[in-house]
Amino acid sequence: MRTFSRTVMVGAEFVGEDLVRFYGILEDILYAMEVRMDVRVSDGVIQDVEGRMKRYTTPVCPRAEEVLKEAVGLSLREEGWISRIYRDMGRRGCQHLAEILIECGRCLDVARMARFLQKTAPSEGSLQDAQERLARWLREHPEARGRCAARR
Amino acid sequence: MSLVFQRTKTVNVEPRGDRELDVQWRITDTLLEASIWMRVRLPDLEISEIHVEIPRGPHSACIESSALADRVVGIRIGPGLRKIVGGLLGGEKGCEELAQGVLECCNAVILHFTVPQLRAVETGTERERREKLQALLRSNPRLVGSCIAFAQDSPLMESVELQGGDL
Repeated sequence: MRTFSRTVMVGAEFVGEDLVRFYGILEDILYAMEVRMDVRVSDGVIQDVEGRMKRYTTPVCPRAEEVLKEAVGLSLREEGWISRIYRDMGRRGCQHLAEILIECGRCLDVARMARFLQKTAPSEGSLQDAQERLARWLREHPEARGRCAARR
Repeated sequence: MSLVFQRTKTVNVEPRGDRELDVQWRITDTLLEASIWMRVRLPDLEISEIHVEIPRGPHSACIESSALADRVVGIRIGPGLRKIVGGLLGGEKGCEELAQGVLECCNAVILHFTVPQLRAVETGTERERREKLQALLRSNPRLVGSCIAFAQDSPLMESVELQGGDL
């Protein structure tokens, strides 16, 4: 029998040419919460963020919703942004809300890639064709390059 | 406005007798699909087996990175894990998603042990709940200062008598 189970979901919609809105949800045995976050695409700066706790373990937990708002102004392009969210929004607020925020933030560039693929060839081409087009896109968007083997 | 990108991640922990835990992790998104199956030996929390499948990825290197997973066999879930896993699976020759997936598997193993304690705090009289919370913090001192509920100035901490040396 399963003793622990967690699901995290992220959705991204481009509400403007330079603004992406993320919806993040975490659901597990103990916790249920969600985050909505607006990010400016050109520089990765968080424009707005809102968290909502639906199920939690202590009466103090919902106070973390206010702490989460301090993420506004932080850039997802900034070195060490993940550590900063864990420290400033997680330890001072809620680790689970911070985890949702980070998962949304980690989706910034893959959401841009998905938009690029949809715009250029929504449902055509092989996996290899999509990979070749994304490799070209990455060469033109150095800010999206990561430190992994695929996105160097 | 329709969604351009969707991601779903799931992680499940299931005991296998008294000596092992099986962890299943899966990520499915618009560009990537990957899964991790991991076996953890108890009580030392050592990763004894791991199997990774990446059938679909935005870059060919993502799919090839599944071969890296064996590097974490033998490591223990404990302090310094983030740095160890990042060093073995992340970096310029690694895969950030794979490293993140392994860390989420390990986090789920820890939660497997803390969930019963947190559940126990939900029931009983106020005094009983306070005592359970006190016991929880004593057995998990790393929780102190880990979030707003367990911050030193939290009203929950006011009711918890933390004796010198306990934490």
